[in-house]
Amino acid sequence: MNPDRTAIFDRVAAILKAHAKEDIPITADLRIAADLAIDSVEMFDLVMEIEDLYDISFPIEEASAIDTVGSLVDAISRLSNA
Amino acid sequence: MLDNKKKMGDFFTRFDKLSERVEGMYALGRRPFGMTFDQMLSPTRARVGNTEVILAGTNNYLGLTFSDECREAAKAAIDAHGTATTGSRLANGTYAEHVALEDDLRHFFGTAAAIVFTTGYQANLAAISALVGRGDHLFIDADSHACIYDASRLCDAETIRFRHNSPEDLARRLARLPEDGARLVVIEGLYSMLGDVAPVAEFVEVAHAHGAMILVDEAHSIGCYGDHGRGLCQAEGVTDEVDFITGTFSKSFASIGGFCVSRHAGLEMTRLVSRPYLFTASGSPANVATARAALAVMAADDSRRTALWDRARQLHAGLTAAGYVPASPPGPIIAVERPDELTAVREWNALLNAGIYVNIAVPPATPQAKSLLRLSVSAAHGVDEINRIIAAFKGLSRAAA
Repeated sequence: MNPDRTAIFDRVAAILKAHAKEDIPITADLRIAADLAIDSVEMFDLVMEIEDLYDISFPIEEASAIDTVGSLVDAISRLSNA
Repeated sequence: MLDNKKKMGDFFTRFDKLSERVEGMYALGRRPFGMTFDQMLSPTRARVGNTEVILAGTNNYLGLTFSDECREAAKAAIDAHGTATTGSRLANGTYAEHVALEDDLRHFFGTAAAIVFTTGYQANLAAISALVGRGDHLFIDADSHACIYDASRLCDAETIRFRHNSPEDLARRLARLPEDGARLVVIEGLYSMLGDVAPVAEFVEVAHAHGAMILVDEAHSIGCYGDHGRGLCQAEGVTDEVDFITGTFSKSFASIGGFCVSRHAGLEMTRLVSRPYLFTASGSPANVATARAALAVMAADDSRRTALWDRARQLHAGLTAAGYVPASPPGPIIAVERPDELTAVREWNALLNAGIYVNIAVPPATPQAKSLLRLSVSAAHGVDEINRIIAAFKGLSRAAA
């Protein structure tokens, strides 16, 4: 994990923790829907928070394709550098 | 022979959690989803089993489903043109009545173009998916109806969601993206779940300031708002500026079907590319004739709309006095949030036992995962019927006390 990714991961973990219904430590390979019980609508709300936090546009088509915490971090990293 | 069969995948295990959830609701009494009405007696009354209930959740805003005008038009259309068109609008499914309904809509809204669709769901699906494509951007309100989300899936544009009813939030998101490709903003007029209304004029200004066109879905607001029910855009004086208005015939129009009208004549071309328009049969003669008759009633007489608002204010005041907190100011849709899903189901059953049918709405169909008892008012409701609805709600709070 490079420093950028670590910073993104830390912020994303804090946001996910606030939305998650399961109180478990956030790791990169955790599945957002299955392990944290965050449904697709909540995921879209979370994406709006992330858009504002990083000042990026995060289309819901990309959000729908995200499975794990790690893939969410990757998407933010990619969209931030676009 | 059995030995040769491969083990099949089970599609149904994915419903296990949902099944468990609804079984918990069904254990509390009657099933609130897909409840059967044994006979419709009027726009505001039905028979359920041996009980007559007052209907307070039908979206039948103008109460035209049993009007002489609509019933006679539907019967005459069946006798004149048969029961179905058996074909797409592009093939054998365009009858003179479909074209006449499109003419009626253009005149009613004063727009350059109008297209009629088979359902309201398809109207948004058809219009939105045909307008935006690869390289374009679609901006949708977070509380949008499922058909708007589904439209975003059907097209190749990228979709950005903005915070509900916030023109400021939309402006921020529009400004973030470079202005390459076309952009379409989609909002609704009156939102179905909480009965709240969009600041349409502000949204129009923000969209146009950022080089975007705007589509307003007036499924619930047409018939209820504006001069002679011309909708919220007309009420806010922006019909001439809004780029597209979609709507349904399944509420105030007492039929089934949908439409899109536009100040841009170019909308006409979408008939040749819009999949939900092309690849389905057109509206039945009876449905089309009913929508025309309802539109004629609306255009000729605004008194049903006045009655609707009188009853809406009566119900809103009565529920408020009974200690309930409606989600929005008085309007055709009055929703009250309940503490949780099972409380909502319990109360829904108690209301039904008291002879009142309301809608129940639970996540994921509701904003912020709310559990709602949702009522809609009809112009056909009598003062006494509204009083009985209020009394039933008072009975609920007494039972809980």
